[in-house]
Amino acid sequence: MEGIFSNLAIGFIEVFKLQAITLGGMTMTLPFNILMCLIGVLLGTLIGVLPGIGPVATIAMLLPVTFNLAPIAALIMLAGIYYGAQYGGSTTAILINLPGESSSVVTCLDGYQMARQGRAGPALATAAIASFFAGCVSTLVVALFAPPLAEVALKFGPAEYTSLMVLGLVAAVVLASGSLIKAIAMVVLGLLLGLVGTDVNSGVLRFAFGISEMADGIGFVTVAMGMFGICEIIANLEQKEKREVFTSKVGSLMPTKEDFKRMIAPILRGTVLGSALGILPGGGALLASFGAYTLEKKVSKNSHQFGKGAIEGVAAPEAANNAGAQTSFIPLLTLGIPSNAVMALMIGAMMIQGIAPGPQVMTERPQLFWGMIASMWVGNLMLVILNLPLIGMWIKLLTVPYRILYPSILLFMAIGVFSISNQPFDCFLMACFGLLGYVCVKLGCEPAPLILGFILGPLMEENLRRAMLLSRGDPWVFISPSKPISMGFVIAAVLLLVIVALPALRKKREEVFVEET
Amino acid sequence: MLRLLLLVSLAGAANPAAAQTWPSKPVRLIVPYAPGGPVDISARLLAAKLQESLGQPVVPENRPGAGGNIGVELAAKSPPDGTTLVISAIATLAINPSLYPSLPYDPLKDLRHVTLLVQVPNVLIVTNDLPAKNVKELIALAKQRPGKLDFGSGSSGSTGHLAGEMFKMMTGTYMVHIPYKGSAPALADMMGGRIHLMFDNLASALPSIRSDKVRALATTTLKRSSFLPELPTLDESGLKGFDMSTWWGVSVAAKTPQTVVERLSADILKAMDAPDFKDRLRNIGSEAPAVRTPDQFTAFVTSELKIYTELVKRSGAKVD
Repeated sequence: MEGIFSNLAIGFIEVFKLQAITLGGMTMTLPFNILMCLIGVLLGTLIGVLPGIGPVATIAMLLPVTFNLAPIAALIMLAGIYYGAQYGGSTTAILINLPGESSSVVTCLDGYQMARQGRAGPALATAAIASFFAGCVSTLVVALFAPPLAEVALKFGPAEYTSLMVLGLVAAVVLASGSLIKAIAMVVLGLLLGLVGTDVNSGVLRFAFGISEMADGIGFVTVAMGMFGICEIIANLEQKEKREVFTSKVGSLMPTKEDFKRMIAPILRGTVLGSALGILPGGGALLASFGAYTLEKKVSKNSHQFGKGAIEGVAAPEAANNAGAQTSFIPLLTLGIPSNAVMALMIGAMMIQGIAPGPQVMTERPQLFWGMIASMWVGNLMLVILNLPLIGMWIKLLTVPYRILYPSILLFMAIGVFSISNQPFDCFLMACFGLLGYVCVKLGCEPAPLILGFILGPLMEENLRRAMLLSRGDPWVFISPSKPISMGFVIAAVLLLVIVALPALRKKREEVFVEET
Repeated sequence: MLRLLLLVSLAGAANPAAAQTWPSKPVRLIVPYAPGGPVDISARLLAAKLQESLGQPVVPENRPGAGGNIGVELAAKSPPDGTTLVISAIATLAINPSLYPSLPYDPLKDLRHVTLLVQVPNVLIVTNDLPAKNVKELIALAKQRPGKLDFGSGSSGSTGHLAGEMFKMMTGTYMVHIPYKGSAPALADMMGGRIHLMFDNLASALPSIRSDKVRALATTTLKRSSFLPELPTLDESGLKGFDMSTWWGVSVAAKTPQTVVERLSADILKAMDAPDFKDRLRNIGSEAPAVRTPDQFTAFVTSELKIYTELVKRSGAKVD
C-alpha cells in the first residue's frame, strides 16, 4: 500500500513537471504534460460530440505528430483523446438521439427521452458526473490491481466468451420495454446482420452479394447512426405540426436532489460492471454500457420508467462505458495486448517511441506508467470541469430551428461514417439502416435489441466455433468443471431465463396489483 | 487555335521532363488497412518524409476491406500519373491471388512495384509449459501427439497460418489451425495456455518473448534476426530452405511513366536511409530490406507469388 503512494507521487510529479519547451525559437517553461493532457481531452470531447468521427481515426491522424514528443507526453495526450471521447459521445445521444460514440448507443434510450421532457440539462449533467466518478474509481482500480486483473483476463478463452455472450443475449431480451416476441425478433435480425462478411474460420464470404465493401462486414457505427440518428430525423420530419421538441421547456440545468439520490446506486453498479468488462479484450466498454443498462432495469425500483426517461438509464451506462474505457488499458499496460483498436494504436505509438509494451513498462519506466495513471485523474477532472459549463451551450443547440438543424446533423453523420474507411458505400448503407429503423419504429420494434444482437452475434459465433475447434467438437466444454467461469455464466443465463419467464407466467396477477396502486 | 497549338507543344515539352515537374498535385498514399498497426504507422512515417522531398502534400488514406484488395484495386485502376501510391503487401500481392477466386487486379500486370519498405521475420513461439525446448523437440512432440497441438494465427490465409502449413508439410506432422481476428487475441490465448504455438510476426511477438510470457524457438527467415541474435532459424534447425517473412512496399498503377517510378523509388530509398526513419522502422521490427530498386522489388514479388500460390494449393488453405 505504501508502494502505491510513492508510485502515485512519481506519477503526479511527472504530470505536473515543468519543462523547458522551445517553440519557434522561444524557450518557455511550461507544465507540458498537463498541457498535452488538456489538448487530448479537448480533442476527445470534440470528436466525441461529432457523430461517427471516433478516437481511432483521430489518434491515427495524430500519430506522426506524437513521434516528436516525449513518450509520456504523447501517451498522455492519446489516452486523453480516448476517454475524452467517452464524455463527448453522450452529448448528441441525449440531445438529438444520435450516438456520437459507439459506446453511447445505450445513453440514447433514456437520455433522449429525458431531453424530450425538457430535462436535457439534468441528463447531460448526470452523464458527466457519472463519467467522472467512474473514471476516477476505475483509474484507482488500474493503479491498484492491474497485474492480478490482467491474469484474470487471460483466463478468458473462447469458451468463457461464448458463455458470457449467451448471458448477454438472454439479458438483451430484458432490454426491450415492449413486446417480448418483437425483442427476440430484433435480436435475431441483429445476429443475422452481424454474420455479413468474411467468415473467420474459413475465410469464406457470407451475405456480401458480391459487394467488396461488405467483405469485412457491416460497420457498427453505420448501423447505429442509421437506426438511431437518421430514423429519428425521418420520424421528426413526418410530424406536420412543429417538432415537439423541448425548446419551450428547457427547465433547470442541474439535476435535482431527488435525481442525485436516484443516480448514486446506478453509478456505483455501472462503475463496477464497467471496470470488470473493460478488462476483457474485445469491445469491453461497449458491452459494459449495455450490461449496466440491463442490470439497472432489472434491479431498479423505477424499472417501469426505463425507456421513458429514467435518470438511472443514463447514469449507469455512462458510468460503465467510462469505467470500461479506463480499465481497458490494463491488458495493454500489463501484457502488451491491445483490447481494442484504440489500444492497438497506443501500442503502435509506444513501439515507435522504442518502448516495448508489456509488464516491463511498469518496472523499467515507472515515470511513464504512473505518469499515465496520474494523468487519467487529472484528465477526468478537466473533463468534468469542461463539460458542466458546456451544458448550457449544448442546450442552446436545441433552439436552432429544425429545418437548419437536421441537414447539418445529416451532413455530420455522412462525414463521420465516410471517415471510418473512406467508403461512399457506407453512407448509402447508413441511409438504408435509417429506413429500416423507421420501418421498425412503425412496427413498434425497438432498435436497441437489434444493436446488441449485432454486436454480440459475430463475437459469439467466432468464439463458439473457436471453442469447438479447440475441444474438437465437444459441447461439454462450456459447462465442464475445468472451466468454472464459463460454467458460472451458463448457470447465470439459465437463472435469468427463469426470472424472466416467471413474471410472464404471473403477469395477470401483477397487472391487478399495478392497477390497484 | 494558336492557343491550342501552344498548349499541345507545351504539353509535349513537359513530357520528357516529367520527373522534374512531377508531382504537380497532392499525392495520396492508400493504406488498404484500418488505422493502427505497423503497416499504417510505417505508411504515415513515409508520407511525412515524402512530403518533404516531393514538395507536395502526401496524404495517407485508409481504405480497408477484403483483406486489402479494395485499396490495391483502387490504386491499380487510378490514373497512372504517380499521384496515387498504395502500400502493397505479401497478402495483396502474393497470397490473395490464389486465396480469392476473383481478384479484381493482377499483381504483376496491373501494378508497377516501386520499393520494398519493410520486411519483418515471423517467429515460431510456443507456450511456456510446452515440453519442447527447441524445434527438434517440437517436431518430435507433434509426431508423438498427431492432431493434438493447436497453432493460432491472425487470420485464415495469413503468413502465420501459411508458415504453420509449410511447417506441417516439411515435417510431415499434423496440427490444428485456429484462426483469430488479428494476432493479439491469439497471443492472449497462448498466454492463457489454450493454444500451443503460433508463427507470429516478430514485431508483435517481441514484447511477450522479452518478458518471458512465451518461448521463442526459431525465426522463419534464412538469416537470424538482429533483434534476437541468439535465436536459431528454422533453416538451421533442420527445415532446410524455410524462408518466410511478412513484407510490404509501395506500388503504383502499371502504366506509370518510368521516370516517375524512378524518382519515387529514389525518394523512398532516401527516406529509408535517413537515420530517424530507419530507427522508427526498426522499432516496428523491420530490418533494412536487401530488395531496393523497382526491378528488384518486381522480381521479388514474382518469386513470392510463385511460392505462395504453390503453398496455398498444396496446403488446401484456399477460400472458395
